[in-house]
Amino acid sequence: MTTLEATSPNASNAPDPPVDNYLTYTRGVLSWVFTLDHKRIGLMYLVAVLGSFLVGGIFALLVRTELLTPGATIPGVDADVYNQFFTLHGAIMVFLVIIPSIPGALGNFVLPIMLGAKDVAFPRLNLGSFYLWIIGAILAVLSLVYGGFDTGWTFYTPYSTTTSTGGVIPVVTGVFILGFSSIFTGLNFVVTIHKLRPPGMTWFRMPLLLWALYATALIQVLATPVLGITLLMLIVERVFQIGLFDPAMGGDPVLFQHFFWFYSHPAVYIMILPAMGIISEIISVHAHRHIFGYRFIAFSSVAIAIFSFLVWGHHMFTSGQSPLMNVVFSLITFSVAIPSAIKVFNWMATLYRGSISINTPMLYGLGFIFLFTIGGLTGLHLGTLNTDIHLHDTYFVVAHFHYVMMGSALIAMIGGLHHWWPKMVGKMYDEKWGIIGFTLVFIGFNVTFFTQFMLGSHGMPRRYYNYEPEFQIYHVISTIGSYIMAAGFFWTLFYLVQSLFSGAKAPANPWGGRSLEWQCTSPPPHDNFKTTPSVGDCYDFSVVEWDEEEGGYVINRSKVEESSPDH
Amino acid sequence: MANIVSPFEDPERRLAAGRFGMLIFIASLAMIFAGAILGVLVVRLEDEGTWPPPGMPQLPWSLLASTVILVASSATFLRSTRALRREDRPVFVRWLTVTLVLALVFLVVQAYAWWDLLGRGMDFSRHLYAWTFYFLTGLHAVHVLGGVIPLWIVTRRVLRGDLSAPVRRGVAYTAMYWHFLDAAWVVLYLTLIAGTLER
Repeated sequence: MTTLEATSPNASNAPDPPVDNYLTYTRGVLSWVFTLDHKRIGLMYLVAVLGSFLVGGIFALLVRTELLTPGATIPGVDADVYNQFFTLHGAIMVFLVIIPSIPGALGNFVLPIMLGAKDVAFPRLNLGSFYLWIIGAILAVLSLVYGGFDTGWTFYTPYSTTTSTGGVIPVVTGVFILGFSSIFTGLNFVVTIHKLRPPGMTWFRMPLLLWALYATALIQVLATPVLGITLLMLIVERVFQIGLFDPAMGGDPVLFQHFFWFYSHPAVYIMILPAMGIISEIISVHAHRHIFGYRFIAFSSVAIAIFSFLVWGHHMFTSGQSPLMNVVFSLITFSVAIPSAIKVFNWMATLYRGSISINTPMLYGLGFIFLFTIGGLTGLHLGTLNTDIHLHDTYFVVAHFHYVMMGSALIAMIGGLHHWWPKMVGKMYDEKWGIIGFTLVFIGFNVTFFTQFMLGSHGMPRRYYNYEPEFQIYHVISTIGSYIMAAGFFWTLFYLVQSLFSGAKAPANPWGGRSLEWQCTSPPPHDNFKTTPSVGDCYDFSVVEWDEEEGGYVINRSKVEESSPDH
Repeated sequence: MANIVSPFEDPERRLAAGRFGMLIFIASLAMIFAGAILGVLVVRLEDEGTWPPPGMPQLPWSLLASTVILVASSATFLRSTRALRREDRPVFVRWLTVTLVLALVFLVVQAYAWWDLLGRGMDFSRHLYAWTFYFLTGLHAVHVLGGVIPLWIVTRRVLRGDLSAPVRRGVAYTAMYWHFLDAAWVVLYLTLIAGTLER
């Protein structure tokens, strides 16, 4: 049974049955290829997403290297090739890395365990989502064989329907399929959270990551189909040279932008909401302090999900929208700042007087708060009509969205990876090495992208191959930053892989977490729980104690009894 | 057992979760159709000419016929699932079979409409009126095809006397999807008609 009873007094006295582990439960390649285990599927997503991250990162480094000097820098890279570089970087990072990273990899791994379930509601659909992702990714990469594509990741018409690069249809088809992967993952998570909560796991006892993944799933399910139909119409239009977006035949190219951003604005919340969920977990666990304002954080996730559908027009202030629409979209855009700020203040309040462990996940958590605040506040400049006219399509925009998409979403993902790494693989990474990795990434990131705020406000347009000589110093600094960051990521990859071979064995609860995933062994058994874990307040750290014999934290059952009178 | 096919051990709860999942899937599909319809309406309102443009045929009567057939198939599916709920098996099997036949007839009529219009000069790439017709009916037909296949599978199994839990779940999910296709078609048909009204 998946049900977990509230702790019985003698639960801790019962001898533990022998524990298997999901990594070795069955053996052979086929046991992975056809696995329905959410943990294995999450791990496969993780490998696939990190592989894509490497490819997208190489394109980023090529872009940065090319921009070291005005005009040609890398031999053989002319403006057309450069256009393909930044397009591939954007498309891969958005559709193959950031969107699936947290829900697909970490979400799949921890969501059912945190909830106290055996698996997601539809395990076969979950595996199907993964293979849809693989097919979409193959098509996207296959576009290179057909001549690549230079449309930018936004595929704006009429350029995308007329450009001579032959890879547009493969990549758009790929993104279309990736969209369905995302929809089915969202569907699975919504149903899992509704239907698989065990007794005792009420909505307001769920860890905040689950609220965040739930809000994300709502966006995935309702916004992604609009991208699907838009891309379908784009493919038809490119093939037959007629469609709703072609002005020559009575169509409307701005309609494409409306449709595209109706998905792609909510999509940035598909990226950031799960990241915020991870931060809520990291901050409270590593500060060993009850999360501050649980309900506010939970509801602000849902509020952000709702607002996300109402602000797409702020990407189109210069696209010839009516001035009235611009004002309306600008106003609604500002309202997103409220739930976002609520979260930041609550994290700060959680840290206040907490007993903060400065370790790698916590550093990534603190780094997130710093970077997200910069990314969020610069968003206000862009949401303001008069400043946006000046900053639109400059490096200011590039810097802003890298602070939120990379500095926040991806940094949270890497932080979450460290947080759950002992749980996923059963080994501890080296803490000192982790801190070195974080330092490189954090410094490199700010050198790269803070510089770009300067570039943008001085008028350097985005996506340009060539530039005026006075911009060169900023470009050089930014490129150096990107190399530092790359070194940090390669370093991180190195010590994480190294930990698989020579890391210390991870205890069940290395950080002192209280949510359910810390109550099963590391790595977890095939069906997650061998003994019934106790569903309590997942942020009540007063009952968590260090146990020398265990080498990790354990939950003091007698304190649980005292602190929850309903048991 | 190496794999957990479903984490639900109680069949009732499994069915309830499946129905809920199907509901969400339908909401997703509804957004696809809503996007297509909204796009068509915006472009139609921006076009100052008449639809159909000179030289192109009106919407054929066969569309009205196919509408009636699809609505009827939804009604027969409803009768069939209601019969299953009270375990009236002969009635259930009869109406399920009728539904499958109506579904196939619907696709045949749609194909006829395409063939008919193509013969009368309704060229897909000549005007957005034609584009709209083929795109919306095509989009819907693909989804109907995606419904006929599971409907055919469950009907075949039912006709062989298989009324096991998986088949019952299949019938329940297919029915939900089918009613959605019915409603979506009615809205699409009204959209096509609205396109031909004077601005």
